[in-house]
Amino acid sequence: MTDAATLRQQARSLSGSILIFAIAFVVALPILVIVWSIVQPSTDVWRELWETRLPGMIRDTATLLVTVLAGTVLLGTSLAWLVTAYQFPGRRLLGWLLVTPLAIPGYVLGFVWLDTLQEPLGARQVRSIWLCALVLTLTLYPYVYLFARAAFREQSQRAVDVARSLGCSRTEAFWRVVLPMARPSIAGGAALVGMEVLTDVGTVRLFNVSTIADGVLRVWFGTGDRNAAAELSVLLIGVAVFLIAAERLMRGRARYTQSGTRVGLQVHRLKGPAAVGATIAGWGVFTIAVALPVIRLTTWANEARLTNQTATVAGDLRFHLMSSLRIAVIATIACLVLGVILVIGLNRKRASGAVMARLATLGYAVPGPVVAIGVLVTLAALDRSGWLPDGWLLVGSVVGLIYALVVRFLAVAYQGIDSSVGKVSPSIVASARTLGAGRFRVATRVELPLAAAGIIAASVLVAIDTLKELPITLLLRPFGTETLPIWVWQATSESLWVQAAVPSLAIVAVGMVLVATLLWALEHGAETVS
Amino acid sequence: MDRKHATRVVAAIAAGTLVVAACGSDGGSDGGSDGGSDGGTGDAEGTTAPTDDAGTVTVYTGRHYGIEPIFDEFTADTGIEVRFTTGNDPELRERLVAEGANTPADVLMTADAANVELAADAGVLASVDSATLTDSIPAELRSADNDWFALSQRARVIIASTERVGDPPTTYAGVGDPEWKGNICLRPSTHPYTQSLVASLIIAEGEERATEIVQSWVDNDPLYINSDTDIYKAVADGECDVAIANTYYLGRLLTEDPEFPVEIVWPEQDGRGAHVNVSTAAVTKNAPNPDAALALVEWLATDGQQAFADANFEFPADPDVEPNEIIASWGEFVADLAAVTQLGEFQPTAIEVLSAAGYE
Repeated sequence: MTDAATLRQQARSLSGSILIFAIAFVVALPILVIVWSIVQPSTDVWRELWETRLPGMIRDTATLLVTVLAGTVLLGTSLAWLVTAYQFPGRRLLGWLLVTPLAIPGYVLGFVWLDTLQEPLGARQVRSIWLCALVLTLTLYPYVYLFARAAFREQSQRAVDVARSLGCSRTEAFWRVVLPMARPSIAGGAALVGMEVLTDVGTVRLFNVSTIADGVLRVWFGTGDRNAAAELSVLLIGVAVFLIAAERLMRGRARYTQSGTRVGLQVHRLKGPAAVGATIAGWGVFTIAVALPVIRLTTWANEARLTNQTATVAGDLRFHLMSSLRIAVIATIACLVLGVILVIGLNRKRASGAVMARLATLGYAVPGPVVAIGVLVTLAALDRSGWLPDGWLLVGSVVGLIYALVVRFLAVAYQGIDSSVGKVSPSIVASARTLGAGRFRVATRVELPLAAAGIIAASVLVAIDTLKELPITLLLRPFGTETLPIWVWQATSESLWVQAAVPSLAIVAVGMVLVATLLWALEHGAETVS
Repeated sequence: MDRKHATRVVAAIAAGTLVVAACGSDGGSDGGSDGGSDGGTGDAEGTTAPTDDAGTVTVYTGRHYGIEPIFDEFTADTGIEVRFTTGNDPELRERLVAEGANTPADVLMTADAANVELAADAGVLASVDSATLTDSIPAELRSADNDWFALSQRARVIIASTERVGDPPTTYAGVGDPEWKGNICLRPSTHPYTQSLVASLIIAEGEERATEIVQSWVDNDPLYINSDTDIYKAVADGECDVAIANTYYLGRLLTEDPEFPVEIVWPEQDGRGAHVNVSTAAVTKNAPNPDAALALVEWLATDGQQAFADANFEFPADPDVEPNEIIASWGEFVADLAAVTQLGEFQPTAIEVLSAAGYE
């Protein structure tokens, strides 16, 4: 290589690093603005909080986190194993349907079950942390299910055969070979679940559960004390960082890549009671998490239609749907592009890269309303700075809203893309490098195409998250943008469940389409690789 | 083939982003994308600079239930268009404060007195000099600086089952009587309604006594329900006998079922009167359109009073305007008007009191 070429390469690498740093910094800025306030800690507030609500908040958060994590890992992994390794009536359809709870926002599933169980259980019993945990488990287990199923599908029957030949039973082979190999994927799914639980503010309030995230809003909006709220947020970020560290630890140094040839796991046909049991278990989960709530919503929607409550102050279903789709599409593309750039740029870097990645994905560990205020304060400062072209205001613009959504959800895109690019065998990458391809060329010609299915899957997850998002859109939307969740909020904040049914169903319907795309991408990915 | 295909997908996505990003910034500078199908929310993007078009007033409103027909009526009366965005009171306040001089908002409307007072404290509301407003809105229902005006009042009262309760409590402290242990329903402390009720207790009876009262509620092991409608239903269904809730939800429930078995007990009638909170409107300090803003607030306080209050079964702020038939049928009552303008000041203390008592 000539000196000039080396120099060129170094220059390119430097500008690449600057780009990565710029992205990470801009995305992390609103969160850093919030965290900054911790510089002047408000000790009085802390003492008071500690004497009153904080222990309860920590207890509720811990209980909810542990219960939902246990529930989602158990449910997600066992259902994934059921549909991967066993043949029983309705297996193929069920494999798809079991992902669909992802399409139902927790706050929707929450108010449907709250209202439905109120009479049989009683208003007091229904408002419990356990029911809240159940609702969150039912909406969040698909994260684990998806990751676990993908991991099981990627495994080779050969490993199981080896285990069996060494004297393991089918069950032993599962516990000693299949499950340990799927562990990193399951941990990855569980980490997402953990973040969702920590930052949830819609579902917990329905069930009177006072988590730390709820406490942030309680302190902030009740007293206007931004410092105290920021400090609580930092506590939350601390828990999230701990979760991520735990996930990394679970993953350990293990690195699982796909080898060129692969024989999928053998499917075992269930008969008699076992087949009936499997069918009931799978369909039972689907019924509770999706079918019954959708039926209930449909009944309400019909009631709304009869009493002519199918439009809001801002417009009809079509208008809200278009708003939602427009925002979801733009936000998803933005997250996707930035995610890809980050993954390409950071893939081979060391400690500094890890820090950048952590910075860029900080927003996922922070509750939506806090992100919203962080972005608001940041953008408003920019608007006042005079650096923008005349007449431009970022607060209340599409650009501002998309920025906030990127801050919150870039992590989802990044993780998905990173994990699928990470699965591309190093030997393929090494071959490409040996043949003289540069980093950028390897990424665009080899890694990204091979990881395309995973990238599509990651974008679908971002789209679903954006579609369900409420607090950020509520605070930062431009005039004339009214999404479906805002309609749900307008109705549910007045306990008008009937009026909330139509937009809720619309969210579920769009979510179902996205889930179908997700599964198509995953299936397609499996074919591409083999 | 698959690789080519995938490359194309990625390339197409990247190209798409550029297009969309370009569109996004265009939208920012030229504005004018069409809003709601029936024109509820505005017809211009939020990124446009505040115009001096006197024909439009921009509103941030924390009160969203049934607000649009009122704005339509205003437009029909005055020819001034209204574009508005809904949200939670505290968040809209944060937005107004953050935007400062750049805000597009001419008017802030809140569903609660404390939040508008906090906005006034933050210096984002304008003090207005309007004889129309001072004539129609009593002094207790507007701030001393005339930087916000109540438009309607909501009473937070004691409600009781007509089937199981013969002798309901007549004071807020009475709800803490051990007689009702295990049989009361309250709204969680996260809600501004609870916070302002406790603020009114502090104003009238002092922090120490207020703490005792809240403690006695907590000792009665209340069922916390974060929805007044559900609180009414819980009383009707026998989940609790006595509760504290706003009157207007009963108005809604009675229109659905005239036999709804819950009655209102006006509390503190031998003393300061029932706790009332207010829906408010204020002209913002940096209103791009102060004239249109004042026109809207004045209209809401006069010609629009009846419609504004009736839309939600609330009591008009102007004592000369008759309340809606249904709420008038609940009888006359004494309202604790003296506390209204102080609710904001005492809200932080109220939150401390609620926390100290272990109120959920």
